Amino acid sequence: MNKGLGFDKLREILLEKDWEERDQLAQKLEDLDDQINSRNRLEEKIQPILADERVNLKNKFPELFGPQITESISKQIRESQDEVVEVLYPIIGRMIKKYITNEMEKLSERIDHQMELAFSWEGWKIRIKAWISGTPQKDMIISKLIEPKIEEIYVIERNSGMLLGSFSKSAALDRDMVAGMLTAIKAFVEDAFTGETQELSNIDYDNFKITIKNFKSFFVAVVTSGGMNAQFRDKLDDTLLDFAQKVLKRAKHGAESDAQNEIAEGLAKYFENFDKDE
Amino acid sequence: MKLPKVWQSTSKTSIRMNKKVILVGHFGVGKTSLVQQFVHSKFSEAYLTTIGVKIDKKEVDVDGLKVNLLIWDIAGETAQSKVPKSYQLGAHGVLYVFDLSRPSTYNNLHEQLDYIKELLPGVPIEVLANKKDLLTEEETKQILSGLSLEIRTTSAKTGEYVEEAFLRLTKAMMA
Repeated sequence: MNKGLGFDKLREILLEKDWEERDQLAQKLEDLDDQINSRNRLEEKIQPILADERVNLKNKFPELFGPQITESISKQIRESQDEVVEVLYPIIGRMIKKYITNEMEKLSERIDHQMELAFSWEGWKIRIKAWISGTPQKDMIISKLIEPKIEEIYVIERNSGMLLGSFSKSAALDRDMVAGMLTAIKAFVEDAFTGETQELSNIDYDNFKITIKNFKSFFVAVVTSGGMNAQFRDKLDDTLLDFAQKVLKRAKHGAESDAQNEIAEGLAKYFENFDKDE
Repeated sequence: MKLPKVWQSTSKTSIRMNKKVILVGHFGVGKTSLVQQFVHSKFSEAYLTTIGVKIDKKEVDVDGLKVNLLIWDIAGETAQSKVPKSYQLGAHGVLYVFDLSRPSTYNNLHEQLDYIKELLPGVPIEVLANKKDLLTEEETKQILSGLSLEIRTTSAKTGEYVEEAFLRLTKAMMA
């Protein structure tokens, strides 16, 4: 009995520290177990780490995944074009529909305007013209809707790109600068794509066209809207030639301010009524 | 002649004196920055890399006379012979710009100026040594004495002598 008590005492002395450590370890395990199995406590611990990681990923996302995503999208588009069309169709379709509706509204307004003119002097003129030329009246009305009109005219000195005179329906950009840029673009195209004797004569953009007429020491750029036709082009060519011969030749020999005045008056004389019917 | 209401003619309403000024020099010498100091640009600088030129306008007053400067900022080239002649022709004045901190931009200065003088005989040329702010006064003096030309120093960064350079050239053009 005494021997047993002594052994227990000895064991207690030898293992007391281990037992303490074991108890502490058990407590820690219990805490850890509690943290892992309790959602709230786990969230509390992990949330800051996840937040940091999210920020890090967000910042580095293009760098880390950009090439793969681009490649994957390209591959997907290549391999399933029909599906892509199917996905994009509603969006593009809506855009096209909106554009067409808008354009139809504009056309409708213009037709209404023409119809209002139907019983006016203008309307009778169209009727008579249609009757003489044998063209259906509706064709004449439609051609009138898209008939070309002069929007702007620039008379530009050939070498320097300096504006000698201009005429415009709007006052958007600085015309001196536009004249310079037109000269630069013209020179660039001629240097880059054509031979020495060839010159840029047309620039098309959307519903507008820039017709360039080159003369010896200057060129004239005419900005037109609407559908250019042969009749309009001929008339424009003839008027420009006449303007160049009679006005510009004379203006060239005067002082700078006189020349500007003469060109301005010449532009008004030759182009003021250009768009109106004869 | 009475003009129609819809038409506007700039020439008729405001007769003015226009002068074409070209800015030339090597790439990166600060030509565009000099223009930016002098005018508020309307066209994008992208034109410089596409068609090789950007045009700005500034009205200056020289002895009571209003003069419109059409400034052609031409993309930098190591040799002026590489610049399309059509951009340079018809110029009334030239600003040749080089970078004081890069000898390669002024090593062939005399040769480049001779080329311009031949292309535009009698046209005043103002030579500008830009980026003055990057060098000490002593270094600048040493460089300029070696070039033996009438050269003005500028700094597009601080704006020093930028406006004066344009005005001086305008006066020379009007003389």
